[in-house]
Amino acid sequence: MPQNPYLNVLFMAAAAVVFIIACCYGLGSLARWIGKLRGASLKKQENTFAGYFFAAPWIVGFLIFVIVPMAFSLYWSFTDYRVTSREPATWIGLDNYTQLLFNDDNFRASLVNTLYLTVIGLPLQMAAALVLAVLLNQKMRGERFFRMAFYLPVVLGFNTAVLLCWRLMLNTGTGIINQIIRSVTTAVPALGYINRGLIHVQEIVTAFFLGLNTGKFNLLNKVIEAGLPEANRVPLWVQSPLWTKMSVILLMVWGCGSMMLIFLAGLNNIPKELHEAAEVDGASGWQRFWKVSFPLLTPYVFYNLVVGMIAALQIFEPVFVLYRDNQPLVSSTISMVYYLWQKSFSHFEIGYGSAISWVILVIILIITVIQFKLQDRWVTYDIY
Amino acid sequence: MKRYWPIIKGILLYFFLTAASVLMSFPLFWMISSSLKTLEETNSPGIVWVPKHIAWDAYIGIFQNYDFLRSYFNSVFYVSLALVGTLLSIAAVSYAFSRVEWPGRNFVFFLMLATMMIPPQALIVPQYVFFNKLDWIGTFNPIVIPGYFAGGAAMVFLLRQSMAQIPKEMDESAFVDGADHIQIWWQIIMPLVKAPLATVATFLFVGFWNSLLTPLMYLQTIDLYTLPVYVTTLYNINNTVQPWPTIMTAAVLTTVPLLVVFFFAQRFILESVVISGLKG
Repeated sequence: MPQNPYLNVLFMAAAAVVFIIACCYGLGSLARWIGKLRGASLKKQENTFAGYFFAAPWIVGFLIFVIVPMAFSLYWSFTDYRVTSREPATWIGLDNYTQLLFNDDNFRASLVNTLYLTVIGLPLQMAAALVLAVLLNQKMRGERFFRMAFYLPVVLGFNTAVLLCWRLMLNTGTGIINQIIRSVTTAVPALGYINRGLIHVQEIVTAFFLGLNTGKFNLLNKVIEAGLPEANRVPLWVQSPLWTKMSVILLMVWGCGSMMLIFLAGLNNIPKELHEAAEVDGASGWQRFWKVSFPLLTPYVFYNLVVGMIAALQIFEPVFVLYRDNQPLVSSTISMVYYLWQKSFSHFEIGYGSAISWVILVIILIITVIQFKLQDRWVTYDIY
Repeated sequence: MKRYWPIIKGILLYFFLTAASVLMSFPLFWMISSSLKTLEETNSPGIVWVPKHIAWDAYIGIFQNYDFLRSYFNSVFYVSLALVGTLLSIAAVSYAFSRVEWPGRNFVFFLMLATMMIPPQALIVPQYVFFNKLDWIGTFNPIVIPGYFAGGAAMVFLLRQSMAQIPKEMDESAFVDGADHIQIWWQIIMPLVKAPLATVATFLFVGFWNSLLTPLMYLQTIDLYTLPVYVTTLYNINNTVQPWPTIMTAAVLTTVPLLVVFFFAQRFILESVVISGLKG
């Protein structure tokens, strides 16, 4: 095995290709042989060989990288296993799970924080996507340019370099966002009141969620007692526990481009005649949107909701880049996946980490199933 | 008044759209602008939209920073290696799911779609232990090799949808001429799905280029760091003053390949996301 890391990976990649091709032939021949035993026609045997031959990379990968790891992690989740120590895993039954679900304040915090991102962030993200899609759907010149501009953040996405740029912009004192807020609110006093109102509402909501973390609502009382913030207040984006999650939500809203594309596809699929008929009947633009477009868009809303929720439950990069190592802020902002990473790879508690990953998996499955169950109540599929 | 309404509406529409695009692209502008500022300007209490004098210091500095250049090379190297293998295996698997009738196809396809529900993070812990057993920690292997096994069910789905739309007669006539499946896949089907392949390649590229979690776990030493991992080390919470111009210069150089790829591929992406995303 070559020591040079570049040659090493080239060598392994070549080995992997050879291995995969061998698997292709092996699996294909095996399937053909079984087909032959079952007395399939020659043409069918040929197709069986080809099918398994071409699908083999995925089938083998699924076994090696999904099924086997999942089985092991299920086993480890019932054990005390640390990868750094030489000791083998010791069976401890449900201890990891009871510890995790009932006694682990950090996990509880990560659960509440992720809930916050899902309950408050996701609707904001979808609303932004919908507004942009409706505006773009007016079929005017330059639509392509705007569409590109709105999709760009998705590509830049959660690249750490871009996240660091956000970190710079969100600085409380000298960050550009707060500087703009400051100059706008001093110039137009009315906007100042709106700004203070929004800050107040945001802080009350977040303080409530932080209260859920610990079970004590002191902070919430304090925020409410303090009343409307003073005139020169600005959001304390990446500085105060009351704002850390809002900063992540800001990033989510910024990256709403892929949801927007889905909505745009939905709007394009709505038959023109429906709008024309509604217009003849004297419906205003507002009514036409809510009574005609929106019901027909519900399958797309549903799709975005399912995909968006899975994504929101898996947030990692923004938390890592913005708040890593910042102890006072960590509990107000850690997401479930960040906690998983921290436990498994900073503390190397593999057994406990496995339990966390199974809990995340089960949460995602439950939420997705509930969404599919509830969809009959509000999603309209009639027209399609 | 009524006569002018369409014009007013048009002006309002453009106003909102322009404002939204400015907001959406603002981080990009700010990144470039900050990379050309001096340290004082990035920390100034007043708004500095564009630097007074363009300061190239950070760019000169970063091109002499050996760690940065090496992590850039590492990123390019690993992304190209992973991209080729992943794209080819995805194309092969999509062929099996779209052009061949074989027993068990529907079941395997369903399994593949079901894996999309599994968060990748649920697998990282056991995979880490597995790669540790193979002695692959501290090498590029764990971030390159798994892709070779058709990693990415969503991408297979996207490509399968496009391959399934090609008329069946295409391969039947080739069969008559004595071609086998491998020839048909490579010589007939692949050239017909160039645009979807470009889309998949773009998505894969963006995914690999931005990837943080797995490189962070497996690379371990600074000489193997890829860009996203290296860039985070520039920002250190313990610094009293962050070297913002340098960080933003690194950020600009990191995003350039993304912008270039997006610029050339946006035509494909914007269309095929919509086609395959829902109308499956």
